[in-house]
Amino acid sequence: MTVGPIAFMALAALLFCIGLFGALSKKSAVLVLMSLELMTNAVNLNLVAVSRFFTPVSMAGQFTAAFIIVIAAAEVGLGLALVLALYRIRRTVELDRIDRLRG
Amino acid sequence: MAWVALIPLFPALAFAAMLVMSRDMRTRLRWLPLAAMSGSLALSVAALLAVWPGGEEPVYRASFALAHLGGAPLAIGLRVDAVSVVMLMVVTVVGVCVQVYSLGYMHRDPRRGWYFAVLSLFSAAMLLLVLAGDFLLLYMSWEVMGLCSYLLIGFWHEQDGPRRASIKAFLTTRVGDVGFAIGLAAMWTYAHSFDFAVVLHDTHWTAAAAAVVSLGLLAGAMGKSAQVPLHVWLPDAMAGPTPASALIHAATMVAAGVYLVARAMPLFHAAPPWVLIFVTWVGASTAMVGALLAMVQYDIKKVLAYSTISQLGYMFIALGAGGEGAALFHLVTHAFFKSLLFLGAGVIIHATRTQDIREMGGLRKVMPWTTTTFLFGALALSGVFPFSGFWSKDDILMTLYARGEWWSWGALVVALLVAALTAFYMTRVCIRVFAGRVCSLAREGHAEMVVPMAVLAAITAVIGFTSPAFAAFLGEVRGWPDLGMAVTGSLAATAGIGAGVWIYGFAGVDTQALRRRFPRVSTVLDNGFYFDLTYNRGLVEAFMYVAGVLARFDARVVDGVVNGAARAWSRASDALWDFDGRGIDGAVNGLGSLVIRAGARARELQAGRVQGYQRLAYVGLLALVLFSVLTSPIGMLAAAGCALAVLLVVGAIIVRGA
Repeated sequence: MTVGPIAFMALAALLFCIGLFGALSKKSAVLVLMSLELMTNAVNLNLVAVSRFFTPVSMAGQFTAAFIIVIAAAEVGLGLALVLALYRIRRTVELDRIDRLRG
Repeated sequence: MAWVALIPLFPALAFAAMLVMSRDMRTRLRWLPLAAMSGSLALSVAALLAVWPGGEEPVYRASFALAHLGGAPLAIGLRVDAVSVVMLMVVTVVGVCVQVYSLGYMHRDPRRGWYFAVLSLFSAAMLLLVLAGDFLLLYMSWEVMGLCSYLLIGFWHEQDGPRRASIKAFLTTRVGDVGFAIGLAAMWTYAHSFDFAVVLHDTHWTAAAAAVVSLGLLAGAMGKSAQVPLHVWLPDAMAGPTPASALIHAATMVAAGVYLVARAMPLFHAAPPWVLIFVTWVGASTAMVGALLAMVQYDIKKVLAYSTISQLGYMFIALGAGGEGAALFHLVTHAFFKSLLFLGAGVIIHATRTQDIREMGGLRKVMPWTTTTFLFGALALSGVFPFSGFWSKDDILMTLYARGEWWSWGALVVALLVAALTAFYMTRVCIRVFAGRVCSLAREGHAEMVVPMAVLAAITAVIGFTSPAFAAFLGEVRGWPDLGMAVTGSLAATAGIGAGVWIYGFAGVDTQALRRRFPRVSTVLDNGFYFDLTYNRGLVEAFMYVAGVLARFDARVVDGVVNGAARAWSRASDALWDFDGRGIDGAVNGLGSLVIRAGARARELQAGRVQGYQRLAYVGLLALVLFSVLTSPIGMLAAAGCALAVLLVVGAIIVRGA
């Protein structure tokens, strides 16, 4: 039994849904950031799988995925810095209690 | 000769100026009407010289068309002839005397400025009346005089009496003036003009038309000149200031009726003979009623008022007999001696602070000037030679005698009787006031009061001798008095004076005993022949009854309708209020609370939590995906497949559970 593109896509969709669930439901900002990483990686997985199975000659998908991984590393760094700054101001990282957007 | 227009204009301007002044200013400038009147007097003398030597033709005529009615000009104009000049002289001379006298008489009244202003307006109206060249202008001035008379009778309107008297005078003369207005309307209908020359000379009147017009004019004259049965206002008019009574209610205004009839005499001649006979009998009954009532009055002004009525009746007798020259001469002499008597009465009232002749006496010792001048007036009124009344009365008696018809004989008898009665009641007044013991602290009047009286007394003493010249001036022929008639008239006067002296002087008859002996006569006289009572019962009370009925109708029906409408409106308003409160406010409030509730719901969406917004974004994304999937054929197929799968799973679970 060979592993086909549908399996990769299904795994990617599952990962994305887990990430989405985590991003929408976790109280801690750190966990939300982690969930965001899951969603990003689901997209990366899709890019690599589609590139591998449908355009094997071109490596565009793989390159894009590598590029996204670098960007995501930077993004997590920035996000954690924001969370730290937020913690310093509000003494908490619980997103339920950070509601200043209400105005 | 257009300057004659200045004669009435001077006092009119004085009035207009005083009308706009403050009370203080008016009081300070109270001599202004006197100055105006003096100017009028000077111009009147000039007019007299211009008209000299008189005659029937006018020396000046001017008319001014106000409008055109049916092709005929409706004009007012002036006319200067012998009659108007004579009247001008009377009005201005008496007017100046009364103005001077008033300065003394009214010197303490706070509103005397207004008094002088109205007196000035009256003078203007009277002067315009005698200068009028047509009946329309005459009627206008006539009504202005009526207004002034009303204002001056009611001058002390704080008191009830003068107020009532002024209304009574106004309404009573109004009755006659309605006749006057009807006469004028008939005159216009027939002659299409009001001009004296056109109406009286150029128009050919039918007897019936002339009768209608002349009776209308006569009604006006009877009202203004206080002829029976419209005489009731004049005794009450004595409630006004005495100098005003002297000028208006003795000398000038009340004589305007005589002047009117004398002016319109050609019209009366064109009417059937019974019209003039009627005039005579109106005059005769007035003269008799006035003389009889003057005998029983105790108020000195009322005696003089009834005497004025009586003398005006005398003039009407003369007019009825066609002797307008004699009537006018009596008007002139009467104007002077009656205003003199009124001015004297004013001084006496001022000095004794009473009008009741029973409370007076012995004034000859303290008031020699007043006594002398008053006696001049009394002798003239009684018709004693050589005072003016003798001459004019003689003219009237001669006119009646010369007429020589059954009714003029009757009128002659009445006239002689009235002459005797006149002498009698004047003797009564003089003895009561001047003779006897002194019973008050009276003093002689001020110079400004005595001097005018002296002037009038002098005129009264000498003016009678102008009788033939006066007649010639008017264009009539009349010689010196006939000896027989002079003796007859003097006998009547002597009889009256003798009876008066005997009853009130030497014999000292107790008049109360006389009254008790003839109670019915004395009651009739005390009630003034029941004229006032009849008018009160017949007219005033009937009117009041009708007014009461109308007032009740007003109170019940009209007010009911109005109140009902108001109540209905109020109810409707209440209903609207409720609707407003529940319906409209409810809608507005409901909308408001709806918005608030919706807002409360909506604000939960805006909780400020990042994850909430993310959820919404996710739901939106899901909806977009579902929409795009469901609208594509393959997507629909897939969706149907999914639904079938869900149904199968649910069905399996149900089966398994079962």
